[in-house]
Amino acid sequence: MNIKILDSWLRERVKTKATPQKIAEVLSLTSVSVEKIERFETDYIYDIEVTTNRPDLMSVVGLAREAATVLPKFKIPATFIPLKVSQVKQKPGIILPIHIKNDPSLVNRICAAVMEVNLKDSPKIIKNRLEASGIRSLNNLVDVTNFVMRETGHPVHVFDYDRLITHTLIIRESKKGEKVTTLDGKTHILQGGDIVADNGKGEIVDLLGVIGTANSAVTNKTKRILLFIDNNDSHRIRKTSMFLAIRTEAAVLNEKDIDTELAMTALLKGIELYKKIADAKLASNIVDIYPNKIKTNIISISLEKIDKVIGIKVPATTSIQILNSLGFETKIENYSLTTKVPSWRTKDVTIEEDIIEEIARVFGYQLLPSITPPLTGVENYSLEHNEFYWEKRIKNALKYWGFIEVYTYSMVSEQLLEGPIGKAVELSNPLTEDMTYMRTTLVPSLLQVLKDNKNREEIKIFEIANVYKKKENSLPKEELIIAGVIQKEHVSFLEVKGTIEQLLTDLGIKSLNFKKRENGGAGAEIYIGDNNLGNIEILDQYIINFELNFQTILKFATLKKIYKPIPKFPPIIEDVRLLIDPKILYEEIISVIKKQSGLVVNVSLLDVFENKKTFRVTYQHPQKTLTNEEISKERVKIYSALKKELKVKIA
Amino acid sequence: MEEELINIKNTAMSFILESENLESLEEVKQQFLGKNGKLTLALKDISKLPKEKRPEIGKLANEVKLTIEETIKEKVAQLGKLEYKKEEIIDITLPGIKPSLGHLHLITQAIEEISAIFEKIGFTRVRYPEVEWDWYAFTALNFPQNHPARDDWETFFVKQKPNLKKGSVLLTPHTSSGQIREMERKKTPPIKMLNIAKCYRRQSDVSHTPMFHQFEGLVVDKNISITHLKGTLDYFVRSYFGQNRKSRIRPYHFQFTEPSFEVDVSCGVCEGKGCKLCKAGWLEMGGAGMVHPNVLRFGGIDPKKYIGFAFGWGVERVVMMKEGLEIDDLRLLYSNNLDFLEQF
Repeated sequence: MNIKILDSWLRERVKTKATPQKIAEVLSLTSVSVEKIERFETDYIYDIEVTTNRPDLMSVVGLAREAATVLPKFKIPATFIPLKVSQVKQKPGIILPIHIKNDPSLVNRICAAVMEVNLKDSPKIIKNRLEASGIRSLNNLVDVTNFVMRETGHPVHVFDYDRLITHTLIIRESKKGEKVTTLDGKTHILQGGDIVADNGKGEIVDLLGVIGTANSAVTNKTKRILLFIDNNDSHRIRKTSMFLAIRTEAAVLNEKDIDTELAMTALLKGIELYKKIADAKLASNIVDIYPNKIKTNIISISLEKIDKVIGIKVPATTSIQILNSLGFETKIENYSLTTKVPSWRTKDVTIEEDIIEEIARVFGYQLLPSITPPLTGVENYSLEHNEFYWEKRIKNALKYWGFIEVYTYSMVSEQLLEGPIGKAVELSNPLTEDMTYMRTTLVPSLLQVLKDNKNREEIKIFEIANVYKKKENSLPKEELIIAGVIQKEHVSFLEVKGTIEQLLTDLGIKSLNFKKRENGGAGAEIYIGDNNLGNIEILDQYIINFELNFQTILKFATLKKIYKPIPKFPPIIEDVRLLIDPKILYEEIISVIKKQSGLVVNVSLLDVFENKKTFRVTYQHPQKTLTNEEISKERVKIYSALKKELKVKIA
Repeated sequence: MEEELINIKNTAMSFILESENLESLEEVKQQFLGKNGKLTLALKDISKLPKEKRPEIGKLANEVKLTIEETIKEKVAQLGKLEYKKEEIIDITLPGIKPSLGHLHLITQAIEEISAIFEKIGFTRVRYPEVEWDWYAFTALNFPQNHPARDDWETFFVKQKPNLKKGSVLLTPHTSSGQIREMERKKTPPIKMLNIAKCYRRQSDVSHTPMFHQFEGLVVDKNISITHLKGTLDYFVRSYFGQNRKSRIRPYHFQFTEPSFEVDVSCGVCEGKGCKLCKAGWLEMGGAGMVHPNVLRFGGIDPKKYIGFAFGWGVERVVMMKEGLEIDDLRLLYSNNLDFLEQF
């Protein structure tokens, strides 16, 4: 949440010679981030980001206290000037009736007073301060509420007393379906459970802590007001604000547990201001209904622990000085520090580490040395079993073979899902309909990339990402998949197959089997032994895709090196051209040839032309140079087996 | 016979070496290795020798043949080069014939660099579920039940019945869920984790994509202090962004760290002087802090014995900050426009 305040207003509560720039810099380093300083006439406006745990800093007083604590650490003197509010001593002239019945489970504290007032414009100084804060000045009656909220940090509400015809406010939960018209004229239907004030006749006259209602707001005819400070249950405020989508500053503050002690300060400050700029006369006794008193946190922490976490020795006197200045009453006994957390920090400061943070940030993070952590108990590292190593190798290989890596979204539309919806992980709150399911395959996303790049004819892309498989009563199974698509004219199955073979050869995996696809589609299933590694799918004459399971690869990928003695005797190489039925598979031919002779060390395909296939056969003997006679015996065996088993003609 | 073979070899060699062009070399080849060549004829005579002498002479003859063939090959290569030099004119400004080269995604490139930097100082890279229990993503990280991050307009939830102990199933909104997972894996510190993963948040605009990447560091050991967090940050910033870049930490607030910090890096454009791109010379990089004792406790580690620090930053963010890429819409990263991806 952000707050804007005028420099001159801040300086009312902190006395210092620091320039606005210096104040901004120091606050940013030690407290809250000052995002901008803007000129405002002869003044400056600070635009400050306050973290949600520090609602106390959404105020002039809170920021002044911080500034006065941290500036001296940068050798700039600064003194905090606490807000003094005068107690109401005089008895009211007339007593107007007001009956307030609280529900302690909804509201922690209510402070209120009735006043007779004169409605008019606010003085320029108040208008300026509000407008610099981003709040529109309306009239003196409304402006006081905003002014006091900015100054103290506690939201403030004002009713037109005479419009509260019953003079009664009963605090209760709203019922589902109740209607209210808020002071901006909008009508809302409540969800139930909101904190509301009922006038005793079932009519809602305030949405506490969030926004006033139209039926009780001050108007330009208002003569008497009820100043009303309500400190509410923060969770309910948040729910109401969210459900009705009303983000008033009051709601933003009230949902963050505002200091209940502050409520009376805000009331008294309000009365004081109304007296000053609205000629107010008190017309009731001061109401203070305070059922939920703050429990004071007392925290003890050893000096040793403070030093240990911060990493250097912080003098005890420094710690005490810092904490006291922030409003923590602190003392030291037996090398241990005991501190009483101020009411405005109760929710935020509860454990030792919170105290350490207060000391460390004011002491100055910039003063701490910078040391890389020691190498203790280093974990064993096995390159061969490191999945990231293999992932990187695969990515690099594909890159050097011309593939472009893409990252597509894990969430897909029903259309891109492929496969039954019931088996997919479904989001209950997708951002858009086309990101509803967690994908079970990467290919559709990659095909979408082809569509999105219609300007290109040739595309080679790949992605490595998870797919998600739904499991009952447990997290889905996440499987890392390598997927690729090649799009070009006359794309060849063998090109994709070769890419995969070469990729796996590089990872030390040689024994791949390509089988017909289980679903009968064009392409192949790929196996390593019995393990299904993935598949190649021929979509049409332009597009072929593949998917490989990374876990399976990981199981077989190896860095193991095997040495085979280099043959000492020269091989004899022969080419043979076969006239053969094209339906007979290459692998069958190879296996027939190899089976016939132990001297055949390699058979490779040189050329395919219509029904002619040319093979190159390599004969080699480990212990001697082969002679022609020896080879011809083998050749005869091979040829006759080919003729007999595969009905081949030797061309 | 032996003598004759050696003589053949020497004569052949001298002819070969003296050849000045390919034609004359071919002539020499025919003279010695052709059908009626000197060596060919000599080889035929071997069979006339007594049996016991044949292997020895045969071996020698083979060596002679190989030597002559080799020398001819070398000479051919040599002559070839000479002739090439003489006759060809090469336009060296013509485009080269290039092997194929694809592209790794910007995010992959960043992840590799980040991993290398942290592995150098002993961090172990890990990977944990993207679809995660509420327990790991929120509860065990000290998020109260009604924390806004748990709202269903901030975090993606999965349609699945919540588990009694672990809560609902969601897409992890940060890599911090890996903190508890890592504590469970290691059981006893020291821990030095680097978790880089996809994360998901329910937002999509020029500076947010519903899927993004974070890298998370977690160090837990006996004597860890804020100084070590500072040391790690400085090391990373200098390594990744450059030697002259600085880092600083400022107070901030997170549920799972106490104290918590916001980390800034000095601006690379103005070098810390202040410019349009930065806030008074600094750029916000992300959050960090000392691990909250509750988080250690939830991870099964005794906060009285151990202490830790953690940080988690956006990969996309550091890439943009490093390269000074002025990509006006972050969604371009995942749009998979190949014209974009090919630039890197």
